[in-house]
Amino acid sequence: MSKHRRVIVIPCSGIGKTYGTVGREAAYSLVEDLRPAHTEVVALSLLVLGDGDTRAQVQGAPVIAIDGCKLACASKMVAESGGRVAYEANVLDTFRRNRALRPKGISQLNPDGQALAHRLAEELAEATDRIAIDEGLS
Amino acid sequence: MMPELPKKKVGIVACSGEEMAEGTVTRLAALRVLEQIRPDETVTICLPLFLAGGEGDRAFARFYPTVAVDGCRQRCAARATERYSGKPAASVVVTELMTDDAGLGTARYLNASGLQVTEATAEAIAVHVDQLLGEKASRRKGDLLQRTVVSGLDLLQAQVEEAVQATCSCGSGIPVLTMSIGDRRETLIAVPTIFDQFYERGKRPHLSGVADELLQNTRLYNPIPDGETSAYRVALLREFESYCRKRAT
Repeated sequence: MSKHRRVIVIPCSGIGKTYGTVGREAAYSLVEDLRPAHTEVVALSLLVLGDGDTRAQVQGAPVIAIDGCKLACASKMVAESGGRVAYEANVLDTFRRNRALRPKGISQLNPDGQALAHRLAEELAEATDRIAIDEGLS
Repeated sequence: MMPELPKKKVGIVACSGEEMAEGTVTRLAALRVLEQIRPDETVTICLPLFLAGGEGDRAFARFYPTVAVDGCRQRCAARATERYSGKPAASVVVTELMTDDAGLGTARYLNASGLQVTEATAEAIAVHVDQLLGEKASRRKGDLLQRTVVSGLDLLQAQVEEAVQATCSCGSGIPVLTMSIGDRRETLIAVPTIFDQFYERGKRPHLSGVADELLQNTRLYNPIPDGETSAYRVALLREFESYCRKRAT
């Protein structure tokens, strides 16, 4: 097993709902702030198009899929691309665990939305750590 | 009679490329149009729903004339929309609107240049929307320019302050019916709504002219080859009979 692979992080492309923005912000928080050495974001649109390089990328590394609604586009597209979802996160689940927060906004999250994104990012960081151990990532 | 389907709007499909600043520009520019510049004339859908969603989602670009908004020359939004839903009516590519080599910032945080390009992209989308809806007159009167020229810094401020939010069509509201036409299955958009309206106006399958009217209305929203009208007429009448039986019970 490669010692230099990273965990691929694929947030959904949710554009019309707050939870899509929360998922995307959590992905950026994970990749840029919390676990930059072990993670990288890959665009979901490339998988939708069937881009060969991107398909190979998700087939060769563990994937964290982040979805903003029950339609679960990110998880479904990873599976359809032959990838392996090592951790499946749904913003709605995180919201249910943090019902005191009232996320709003799409272009710009309100403070509760940012807080929810941070909670989700922390969950993702824990998942990344587990995956890194299981997969022997350096 | 034309069914009273939702008001004609323009669909905007952004690539949203999450790993690059240009992708963020597409998303924010699309939202700028959806929320502020042309909120009553536009709708959107998440690109992946063409594959992960249902038939109603895949019907999006057949129902709405669509503007694809891409961050780079890979043109994921335009190509995927054409492949899985319908050919976009217009296309905008962010990198083709950039006038200098200044970076846009990051995918997470756009810089001032990124915000300017976002504004230019939003204006380019709005021009296509107006053209597709035949609203060039308002642009000549200056209405469009007055509404859209906002500085980059004003952009984010406005987005925070305004309560209007974009509406997306995931789990789409576009009504579709999959039915047998001869020996194959076809998904036709708008047919459930047409059935609703026929029924409520007292039209029934056995009445003279109803089959032709069904065909005529269905053709407004679906391409039906001239050589296949008989097969479609038979299929539509059969499905309408089934629909009426269910409504009557």
